Amino acid sequence: MTTPSATPLVEAKGLSKIFHTGGLFRRGRAVQAVRAVDAGVARGEALGVVGESGSGKSTLGRLMLGLMPASGGTVSFDGRPLGRTSGRDWRALRRRMQIVFQDPYGSLDPRRRVGAQIADGLAIHRVGDAGQRAERVAGMLERVGLDPSHAQRYPHEFSGGQRQRIGLARALASGPDFLVADEPVSALDVSIQAQIVQLLAELRRDLGLALLFISHDLPVVRHLCDRVMVMYLGRVMEEGTAEAVFTSPAHPYTRALISATPQLRPDRRADRILLAGDPPSPSNPPSGCVFRTRCAHARPACAEAVPELRPHGESRRVACIRAEEIA
Amino acid sequence: MKRLWIPGALVAAVILLALLAPWLGLADPVKQDIAQRLAGPMPGSPLGRDEFGRDVLSRLIWGARTSLGVAFAAAAIAGILGTMLGLVGGWFRGIGELLTVRSMDIILCFPPVLLALLVVTLLGPGAGTLILVLSVLYLPGFARVTYAEVLSARSHDYVEAVRALGAPTGRILLRTVLPNIAGPVLVQLSLAVAAAVVLESGLSFLGLGVVPPAPSWGLMIRGARATMEQSPLLLLWPCAALSLTILAMNLLCDGLRDAVDPRTPAARPRPRLIDRMLPGMLPPTERTGAVLDLQGLTVEIATPRGRIRPVEDVSFSVRPGETMAIVGESGSGKSVTATALMGLLPPAARPVAGAVWLGERDLLRLDEPALRALRGGAMAMVFQDPMSSLNPVHRVGDQVAEAIRAHRTMTAKAARAEALGLFRRVGIADPERRLDAWPHELSGGMRQRVMIAMALANRPGLLIADEPTTALDVTVQAQILELLAELQRETGTAMIFITHSLGVVAEIADRVTVMYAGQVVEQGDAAAVFAAPLHPYTRALLAATPDGDGQPAGIPGVVPQPHAFPTGCRFAPRCSHAVAACEAAPVMLDETQGGRLTRCIRWTELANGAECAA
Amino acid sequence: MIAGLARRIATSLALAWIVATIVFLALHMVPGDPAELLLSTGGIAPDPATVAELRSRLGLDRPLADQYFDFLSGLPQGDLGNSLVDDYPVAQEIALRLPRTLELIGAGALLAVVFGIPAGTWAAMHRGGTFDRVASGLAALLLAVPVFVVGTLLILLMAQALRLMPAGGFVPLAQDPVQHLTLLALPAIAIAKGLTAIVFRMTRSSVLDALSRDYVRTARAKGLSPARVLVHHVVRNALSPVLTVLGLQMGTMLGGTVLVEYVFNWPGLSTPLLHAVEARDYPMVVGIVLTVSGLFLLINLAMDLLYAVLDPRIRAT
Repeated sequence: MTTPSATPLVEAKGLSKIFHTGGLFRRGRAVQAVRAVDAGVARGEALGVVGESGSGKSTLGRLMLGLMPASGGTVSFDGRPLGRTSGRDWRALRRRMQIVFQDPYGSLDPRRRVGAQIADGLAIHRVGDAGQRAERVAGMLERVGLDPSHAQRYPHEFSGGQRQRIGLARALASGPDFLVADEPVSALDVSIQAQIVQLLAELRRDLGLALLFISHDLPVVRHLCDRVMVMYLGRVMEEGTAEAVFTSPAHPYTRALISATPQLRPDRRADRILLAGDPPSPSNPPSGCVFRTRCAHARPACAEAVPELRPHGESRRVACIRAEEIA
Repeated sequence: MKRLWIPGALVAAVILLALLAPWLGLADPVKQDIAQRLAGPMPGSPLGRDEFGRDVLSRLIWGARTSLGVAFAAAAIAGILGTMLGLVGGWFRGIGELLTVRSMDIILCFPPVLLALLVVTLLGPGAGTLILVLSVLYLPGFARVTYAEVLSARSHDYVEAVRALGAPTGRILLRTVLPNIAGPVLVQLSLAVAAAVVLESGLSFLGLGVVPPAPSWGLMIRGARATMEQSPLLLLWPCAALSLTILAMNLLCDGLRDAVDPRTPAARPRPRLIDRMLPGMLPPTERTGAVLDLQGLTVEIATPRGRIRPVEDVSFSVRPGETMAIVGESGSGKSVTATALMGLLPPAARPVAGAVWLGERDLLRLDEPALRALRGGAMAMVFQDPMSSLNPVHRVGDQVAEAIRAHRTMTAKAARAEALGLFRRVGIADPERRLDAWPHELSGGMRQRVMIAMALANRPGLLIADEPTTALDVTVQAQILELLAELQRETGTAMIFITHSLGVVAEIADRVTVMYAGQVVEQGDAAAVFAAPLHPYTRALLAATPDGDGQPAGIPGVVPQPHAFPTGCRFAPRCSHAVAACEAAPVMLDETQGGRLTRCIRWTELANGAECAA
Repeated sequence: MIAGLARRIATSLALAWIVATIVFLALHMVPGDPAELLLSTGGIAPDPATVAELRSRLGLDRPLADQYFDFLSGLPQGDLGNSLVDDYPVAQEIALRLPRTLELIGAGALLAVVFGIPAGTWAAMHRGGTFDRVASGLAALLLAVPVFVVGTLLILLMAQALRLMPAGGFVPLAQDPVQHLTLLALPAIAIAKGLTAIVFRMTRSSVLDALSRDYVRTARAKGLSPARVLVHHVVRNALSPVLTVLGLQMGTMLGGTVLVEYVFNWPGLSTPLLHAVEARDYPMVVGIVLTVSGLFLLINLAMDLLYAVLDPRIRAT
């Protein structure tokens, strides 16, 4: 594994995003999808963002790519803040950051050949001539483990796992430095998941990508990522190296999450921590620590203020006022 | 495609006739000849003469020209303008949407005929006025269709992907969105033309459309109406021409709609009752006090591409208080098996071999009323997606009470009280209030609890859970699994748990059946199977499951499709231990010590640590 | 939910206002002098004195804003101006004729629902069977034949060929109920033909969709009787889209009444309307168009509310 460089390539500070429901003339509810999140990914590093539904992890991914405007905070790419780039610079930046989606069936245009779709990034930024692009497409197909001669086929001729590979090829064709993978394997069978995750690991190593891997499936994240960020209802609960977070989770939510994951080996099964109740609604979050309504260790103090992300040990930060006591 | 040819040819014929009218050597359609008024068929006028002595055939064809001309002109104008408006509104949203699509909705507030009459009052009748009015009337249709398609296209990941690649708006609209809307716009065009013909003929019939003496079918009907008693045929010709043309256009529209939005045509065999099955079952073996005993179940589905067998020769049994997990990936046939057990297969699928013994009765041989008495009673099922499995227009308490009253006679009040008890039992907080909740008001975990309450309402001996936690978050899944285990301990219900997750199997199952491509490939005590798998697929599946140590390894290749199952071992193409003999002939299930089953000819070698095939 | 109700009513009122404004402006949007426009028939230029007289009579010489205000303020009071032909109040004429048109629409809608929904349900349950094929074919045919053709052919068949019924006319209900209903029958059938076909198709596809839903599978898994599954889970859920389409199609049906009344001599709104169009009696045309459009908006509002009753998910919005 290449050692990640120190300064982050993509950095988010205090990132927030509010969605408003309701139509043109209706004032709807405000949903805070992401609240005051700091995150950074360096070149050659893989950051895993983990959370259940409503955690805001997908929104975070899109914010860091600049695909949607943030309601608060900044995102900078290679030192430059994303919010303030003009049209042409904006498009130039697009080359350097890309995304792979969850749904292998919706992420490819059913009416165009896969080769043309992979070459999109090159065509849009006018890289090379037709011949060079075709070569690059063939090269990418091979790199992701597909037959280069299949460039003339249509998406419906491929299986789900193969389409994810094509999605990867499309994202990497223009040579980005930063890749966001939004639950890229959740819709695939277990045996195919492992293939794709292996491929991602290889590509990251060979191309020195900065990778943001979003998932709800912890075990998958553990092997692929260097660092992990656990989100709940738009906030970061815990953040640190994958090893540290998985072997000795500090935040009560992380512990519950890990304990809830079904384990193959009986000896691995710790006493199950069952969370009480249901996840609260993102449009009406609890005051103070958003996790307190389901936390077995909650105290009245937890409702008063939002806990800061404080260092916990060497390589970690935890947003819990009782983290040391619980550990 | 067949649906398109006949109406398409008819419409094309009419259009062709209309276009060629000036060159067909027809009589002058406006020349009057009072002496020949209402004459019958005669040389030069095969259909006779009308009330002014004009040739009927000629007027029919020239009428087609007028009507179709007006209709196509109006549809074309409406199409071009409407599509542009819809594109702008759908892509830019906000104020753009308001100005384009929403404002078009105002036109829809006017009944069409009335708007037309209003404009005719102001501008006088005539083809020009008609084209103007018709264009305005059909604008909203195009705008809406295009708007909806643009919105739908925008939400697709592939459009977002191209946007992420940095494509400018123009390119996205042109290359990605526009091709996707071509189909629906074409359908809308054909609809508009047909509607325009109807409206134009109606207005002409009232004398307020095309101005005489120009011929139009509506005008012809108007004129013939006055002389209905003397010559009814005169009335029938234009009626027939008009109706047939519109019918052909409507059929063409329908055909286009189907072609543009292809749904897989469902096979339509006549529904057969389960008890009309083919004979030739396996002889009944001893049943060992099992709650459910499946023997050699095979299900066949008739598809357009031929008959397939997504489930073949599946056997297992479940004892009271025991949990049997059925694990497999997509295409393994596990869900079809579960559906077959309950007798809920769609009409196109039928069990063609095997028996399903629930106690003393073979479920596959029972008639529908007997099966119905068992469903929800002695055996119950919990499904994967609790949102779509609950009826959105009935309260959840009512749906649970309904399950109770379907099998036991009791008053509504008593059923509700029992439902309340069930809600408490499955851990729903604030149960009194929740009884009256709508499904969409509950979270995923709570809905699944409602489903479980529904399933357990009549104390079944067998519970079939078809991926009940797949759609739930991990922490909620843990709650539900815990609940199921608790309930099973309490009631002693036998449970069949279908899943694709080996981790879940390891947690809750006593025994496990591993399925691949429609067959059982391994079966046995869960702990034993996981500790020492006897089938390469099970082993590969274990290796692919991420579990904390080492990298998960994928299985190369893909699951075979039911139309193209390999003749030999179905897993052989992907198996790292396959030898030539594996692909040669179908493999039978082997029974090993300890009652374990495996479908692999090399299992003894593999159990002793054989090498992979070179 | 009250908020949603209030919002829908407000939207309907806003739409009604916009419709009225457009109708008002229509006369002024046409190039040329409005008064001249209304008087010119057959391309002959009208006499300037007559034009001036019409102009002052219709108030066209006043500022546009004043005209608009007068027009709008008259509407809630039921003042739609006077007919140019006989100077009687337009509203009076409409009030006299409207109930008869409403009766025709009501009868047509009733027929459509009574025949269309059960037929559509049955066809969907026995998809591909004889009934389905025959009914679908019939529906396609009914949709293709225009309403005035159906009306005329009905007269040809029933009145002329078979001499079973009179060709048209009207007798008040109070005077002779049997005759009244006899005379209502053919026009009602004619006007119902399109709506029945559409209701049939919509019900069929809606029921087919409901049949494939997971909650129907759940209902069957609970062991419910087929009747209960059909009524409580299939048809109940399938009704909503049918309602929507019913509301939308009323516009076409309202236009169809003009034709049907004309064919059968049914004394509804179509007689004064058609005379007014020919005579360019603008106030009468405007009055009738506004009345019928208002009726259309009202019907759609009712359908909207009924939809909310049927589907609790809508109530939340």
